[in-house]
Parts: sequence; structure tokens; C-alpha cells
Amino acid sequence: MAIAERGYTHWPGTLDPARRPWRTIARQGIRLAWRRKFFKFVLSFSLLPALVFTAGVYISERLGDFKNMLKGADRFLQINPDYFKAYYASSGVPFMMLVIMVLAGAGLIADDLRHNALPLYFSRPLRKRDYAGGKFATLAFFLLALTLVPGLLFILLKIIFSGSLKLLTDFPWLPFSVVGWSVVVSSFFSLYTLFLSSLSRSRRYASILMLAVYFLSDVFFAIFMGIFHEPAFLLLSIQMNLRQLAAAFMGAKPQFDVPWFYSVLVLAAGAGLAIFVLHKKIRGAEVIR
Amino acid sequence: MMNIELQDVRFSYGPVRALDGVTLEIGEGACGLLGPNGAGKSTLLKILLGFLVPSAGEGLVLGHDIRKDSFGIRRVVGYMPEDDCFIPGLDAVSFTAYFGELSGMPRAEAMKRAHDVLYYVGLGEARYRLLETYSAGMKQRLKLAQALVHDPKILFLDEPTSNLDPQGRTEILELIADISSKKDLHVLISSHILTDIEQTCTSLVILNKGKVAAQGELAALREVQFSLYEMKVKGETKSFLDALRAAGCRVEETVDQLLKIYLPASMDRREVFHRAEKAGLQIRHFVKSRTSLEDLFARTVGVD
Repeated sequence: MAIAERGYTHWPGTLDPARRPWRTIARQGIRLAWRRKFFKFVLSFSLLPALVFTAGVYISERLGDFKNMLKGADRFLQINPDYFKAYYASSGVPFMMLVIMVLAGAGLIADDLRHNALPLYFSRPLRKRDYAGGKFATLAFFLLALTLVPGLLFILLKIIFSGSLKLLTDFPWLPFSVVGWSVVVSSFFSLYTLFLSSLSRSRRYASILMLAVYFLSDVFFAIFMGIFHEPAFLLLSIQMNLRQLAAAFMGAKPQFDVPWFYSVLVLAAGAGLAIFVLHKKIRGAEVIR
Repeated sequence: MMNIELQDVRFSYGPVRALDGVTLEIGEGACGLLGPNGAGKSTLLKILLGFLVPSAGEGLVLGHDIRKDSFGIRRVVGYMPEDDCFIPGLDAVSFTAYFGELSGMPRAEAMKRAHDVLYYVGLGEARYRLLETYSAGMKQRLKLAQALVHDPKILFLDEPTSNLDPQGRTEILELIADISSKKDLHVLISSHILTDIEQTCTSLVILNKGKVAAQGELAALREVQFSLYEMKVKGETKSFLDALRAAGCRVEETVDQLLKIYLPASMDRREVFHRAEKAGLQIRHFVKSRTSLEDLFARTVGVD
């Protein structure tokens, strides 16, 4: 007998109260993003800097072979914390992260708001933190693929190509810095994306907001810096704060002489605001008071 | 056994009081939650699901406290919201299995069950289509499928036939009737479409302005709340009708001179004869009529 003719049937299993729903949400989010061909293309493209820096790690061990090609550029191929700082802060990686955030993250909450999916989520045994955690993990997965994976790969390849642990003996804190920086920047950007995605019911407006806030913060910094010649205005810029922090994590000299913990405070305030807004915006029922 | 028990539940949206001391008991089977727009039906469902916390009052859903155990409630309740809800980019199987998994089903089981419920609601052939391409009727069935996927013990259906054409409405109502025919799956249907409730429910709660205006078994309510009689009389009716109205009856006069008299529960039908005699009227036709839900609703809520 066809199922449709059998009438309603019960499910004989039992629900598992101890499961982690954020993992289900994250898996679905990653799967949905990955289904789009354009996203796959952009993600592959955004790994290009990592590929170039990987080649740099290889060449750094074969400087003699590439002497003619390098023509004095071998000073950039010293594999030390500055090399990592160059990858993280000034190689276009932050911009590629922004593009990934727009493509994979702008609709994470905006789409659910637009299509009224939140009541469906919260009619399940699901906390706000499960929902937000799942969305956060979706984005963090892709951002860590751009930060943590290449960083650890550089260290591993350097050890393999050089055949020694000199990098680790010289800079034993480097792997921790790579992990720490990757987690911090991915977490900040994930919160930033979810925050702006929750402000609109349109994925398109959320994307515009994400780009606008990021670039306008740079523009304001450039304007004020130009007028007042005061480097402390870097605190207005998301990108400059992240660069300061990257330098601090990698033990390198920051671009501007402004204490790095100011940047920590600014970014932490931004993250706090994002968590507050997410707490207010994510709920099963719209309550207008 | 009572599935839902509420005691003096109150909730306000700012200055607007949505629920004002709701006390009710809902037993087994299919129960209709009826009321005009703004009566508090959807708010009540959201409180039962734990989306909203009442400002006062207590309540239990299948023994789970509405204030303290919203997770316990959500494990045993399936919810079909009023608005169109879906996740763009998913097909029906992934969508339904996803919500099964979020309810606590193992992934493989959720997928298998998703196929079953989609066949059950009539979306078997369309289960691999993207949800964006679904019609209004298909989306309605999909919402029902996701509400059923984790095999709840009670279903909350919020306006299940809204935006449907007559054919789609009939099919959804047939599904609901089939579901509620199961002894261990109960249904609470919120609607302002009286015929939907009449077709599917055995008991009823009528909400009006945030208060319970009537509740109980549908058949009993028709009897208890008032009795409807149809009569034809010969003579001048004005004083007779005035006397009836003064006694608390509602009187309607049809174009073919038929009088429909709604007697309050406290009034004996012989009173009608006494008043007719006093008014000097001859009663030519007097028959007890079956009251429709529309009559009950109009009488309870106080609208024509």
C-alpha cells in the first residue's frame, strides 16, 4: 500500500534531548552556501593569496635556485612572524574575508527573517544561543579556512621544506599566535556579519550594510588622519584595528604607534553590541511594544 | 485527560491587552480556537509554545509548565504557523528532515521520516523541488509536514487554510480530519473561518477581546449557550418581538416572514407561547432549529 494511502503513521523512535542543534544549523548553512557555484569560485579565488604565500615558503628554502627571478626580493621571503603578519593584514585576505562574509553570511539571518523561518526554529527545543551559534559556526568555518588553515599550513610546510624545527624554536609562540589571531578575527567578522544580517529582512541590504560599514570606517579614518594627523583615529577603522591586532599577535611592529589594546577594546565593544542586538532580534515571535 | 490547562493567563503588547485572564481546559481530539481578528488566538498559541511569557497566570501543556518547561512542550508539540515559512535554497525533503533533526531525531531517521510525511501530506512527487517554486497550497502542506515530522502528540495549527483555493482548503481539512482521527494525536486549530472549525473539531474555545467567551464540546455549546427556534405567527408582531427582546432573546426576521428566536439557556420555550398569547398572536409554526457555528459565534462574540 502506498504511504499516502496508509494514513498517518507514528515514528517509533525517541527524540534525543542531549543533541547539539547548533551543529545541525551550521552543517545546513555550510551546505547551502556550498551549493552555489559562484560561492565555490570566490572561495577558491580567495585562497589564491594562501597559495602565493605557500609558494613563498617553498622558495624561501630554495633561494639559490630562484636567485635570478627574485632579484633582491628575497628579503620578503624570511619566514618569521612578519611573514605571517603580511599574509593576515596586508595581502588582501581581509578583503577576501569580507567577500566571503557577504556571500555566505549576509542572508544567514536576513533570509530567515524575510521568510519567517524563526518561528519554525523556535518551535523546536532550541535556545537562542543554539541558533546564533549555528549561524556563527557556518561563517566561522569559511573564515577559518582562510586564516587558520593557511597559517598552520605555512608552519607545517616550512618545517617540512627546511627539514628542521628552527621556526618553532625561534618563535615557539607562533602556532598559538596563528590560532589566536585566526579565532579572534573569524569570531569578530562572524559576529559583525550576523549583527548586520539581523538588521534587515533583505540579504541585499545586509550585504550593502556590511560593505558600507567596513569601507566607511576606513574612509572616516583617512579623512580625520588627513586633517588632524593623529594616528589614534585608526580606532575608527575596522581594518586598521585588525591590522594593529594582527601585529600584536605576531609580535611585529604595528603600523601606527597606538597601543594595541585600544584596538582590542574597540573590537570588543563592537562584538558586545553585536551580541546585544542579536539577543534582541532573534526570537520566535515578533513582539511590538 | 486534559491536554491544555490555563489559569488566568494575561499578556499585553504594551498598552494593548491581548489576553485578559484566559482560563480554559482543552481535552483530547480536535479543538477549534475561534475568534475574530485580534481576539488573541495567535498570542495564545505563542504563549503555549513558550515564544511569549505571560505577565500573569499559569498553564500546562500535556503536563509541561508553560513558564518553566517550554523545551518539554516543544518536544511534544508540532507547530504550523500562519505565515509562509521556508528556507530558500532547500528542497522539501531537506527542509523537513532539517527540522526533524532540530527536534532531536537522528539524521538518518529524520530523512526517512521526512519522505514519509511528505508523501502523507501529498508532496511526495514534488519533494525534491526547491521551495521557492512551491505554490501557496504546497507551502501550506509543507508547513504541515514539518509540524508532523517529529511525531508530536499535539499539533498547533494557526490558520491552516489561509490563502488556499477551495480545492486546496478541502484537501488540507481532510488531512487535518485524518490526523485528528488518531486517538493519540490531538489538534488545536486556530482559525476565524467557522466552517473549517465546524468540519474538523469536536470541541471549541471562542476568544473575544482577549477573553474566553465560550468553551466546551461543540454539540453541547450549541445547546447550552442558547436554543434556536423558528416560528411563523399571524398578527401584529412588534409588541411580541419587543417583549422577547426585553426577555433577553435575540430575534431575526427573514424575508419570508420566518422568525428566528434565540432563547437564552435560562429561558423556557413556553415563555414564547405566553408572550404570544399576551400579544394576541397566533403561532402557526414553531420548530426547534439546529444552530450553526455561525449562530453560536455571532451570539457569543456579539456580532451579526
